[in-house]
Amino acid sequence: MKVEREVTIAAPRETVWDFLWDVPRLAGCIPGARDVRTIEERKTYTAVVADKVGPFKVQFPLTIEVVDVQAPERLRVRANGRDTAVDGLVKVDLDVTVTPAETGTALKVAADISVLGKLGTLGHSVIVRKGTDIVDRFAQAVRAQLEAKA
Amino acid sequence: MLRPFELSEPTSVAEASELLARHGDAARIYAGGTELILVMKEGLVHYEHLVNVKTIPGLAGVRLDAGTLRLGAATSHRARERDPLVRQHFPAVARMEADVANVRVREVGTLGGNLCFAEPHADPGTLLQVFDATARIEKKGSARTIPLEGLFVGPFETCLEGDELLTEIVVPPLPSRSAAAYLKFGFLERPSVGVAVAVTLDDGHVADARIAVGCVGPVPRRMREAEAELRGKPRTETGAALATAGRIAGRAADAITDLHGSAEYKEHLVGVLLRRAWDQALAAIDGSPRR
Amino acid sequence: MKEIAMTVIVNGDKHDLTVPPHETLIECLRDRLGLLGVKKSCDVQVCGTCTVLLDDRPVSACTVLAFEARGRSVRTIEGLARGDDLHPVQEAFVEHGALQCGFCTPGMIMATVALINENPRPTADEVKHYMRGNICRCTGYKRILEAILDASRRMSGASAGNGR
Repeated sequence: MKVEREVTIAAPRETVWDFLWDVPRLAGCIPGARDVRTIEERKTYTAVVADKVGPFKVQFPLTIEVVDVQAPERLRVRANGRDTAVDGLVKVDLDVTVTPAETGTALKVAADISVLGKLGTLGHSVIVRKGTDIVDRFAQAVRAQLEAKA
Repeated sequence: MLRPFELSEPTSVAEASELLARHGDAARIYAGGTELILVMKEGLVHYEHLVNVKTIPGLAGVRLDAGTLRLGAATSHRARERDPLVRQHFPAVARMEADVANVRVREVGTLGGNLCFAEPHADPGTLLQVFDATARIEKKGSARTIPLEGLFVGPFETCLEGDELLTEIVVPPLPSRSAAAYLKFGFLERPSVGVAVAVTLDDGHVADARIAVGCVGPVPRRMREAEAELRGKPRTETGAALATAGRIAGRAADAITDLHGSAEYKEHLVGVLLRRAWDQALAAIDGSPRR
Repeated sequence: MKEIAMTVIVNGDKHDLTVPPHETLIECLRDRLGLLGVKKSCDVQVCGTCTVLLDDRPVSACTVLAFEARGRSVRTIEGLARGDDLHPVQEAFVEHGALQCGFCTPGMIMATVALINENPRPTADEVKHYMRGNICRCTGYKRILEAILDASRRMSGASAGNGR
């Protein structure tokens, strides 16, 4: 499933771009992310994303690879991981673009989310809603962080 | 093979409530198990402690109390499908129950289990809302009653506190010259779209229209903005209003594109099912001398 | 973990068993009692292959817990025939060719027995509604429907005919 969100942030483009590389703070904008570790600066990271829907809990240890960088405007990332308890594999391709806008900077996040395995079939509808919700909240959180500083 | 768990068999609501409070997240109520055992078998969830509510007397049963239908939470779908009181006085409810899942699920699955598991792709929660049904929720030492609509918080999530049990659903009768209808559509194991209506006529006009949509959004709910389109209209002039109501309800249903279909398709189906359910309800009113 | 001691009558035979709460009825019937006529297929109660009768009511053995059968009676496909004499439903299925691979058949027959017990002369629509939860991948259902209607006629004493 593809989700796209765009927010306009009242901050200069360089600030927004730099924020994307401030891994601890960026991870703080992803709902449910913790234990973020840098394996290789600007290349590979790991994190654990945990979430729950009603009684169903998932926990994905993710490996995050930076696939392509076009500073200071575009960043592509791929994350994948396997849930430890339930049969489910998650793959996220993230395409983030940072472009100047009238009132600051436009941050566009395009996510292509796949969940495979039992979780993907049984939980499909839930995952679609959750995926949209997470990308939403991520974009809002980034804006909130950057506008708070400024 | 299911993972092992302990089973408790309380004989009162208070005892069940205490057990839930004591074990917290590790415990879950077990009634028919038609939803719970499935997800435990799939490994999606595990409870170390199941609290059997079928051993609590008085939690199952169908009663008609001065025209109001009182449904014990532990009553099976089939009990309501076949109960003469339900079939006579609340025929739409009996018909809806008859079409839940398959006969084996209906034999074992309960109303309370269905509502409290809160799987969005389900039927009873949608239809019962157009009757303005209420839910009785109890725990040790206290009880509360809420509109059924308030039970559903999100997919697989109800407003029940950890130590609360749903004990009864109370369904008031519709006024005279009224009927309800429920239609659903799906091609997977569970329904993709469900629409319920209740119509009341008065002197050739629509005195009241109630619409609920389920399966599409995260919770089943009433579509009050759509209802307003129909109230007051002469019954012979509802064509355009139904189309508008269908569009409003479709949009308000918060459809997403998933395995059940595209969002546009589901919105379209809401409109189609609304019109058909409306016609069915009107035919039921016309066909019944007392109503 | 506390196990549950129970008495259950299966196909007319009394059994004293001790089962853990998490054991399913199908595990109990197949693994403990050797009743392999109860087939496991989807394991999520939608296909009907594991249909057994619990106090004459059709249930999914894959999803009902074994202890729920305590003090009750269970009937499986093995409990229908009397020696070499097939049950009328079994006879009807054979005569109408209502099976090919046979995997859905025990469940189909048990559901049919439950249906006719509840509704001795169902209409075709009533049969289709009741049997909706029993899936067959081979036959296309036509002969199954004919067998069920014929069996109901025989069992209610009406003359046997060739489908309606």
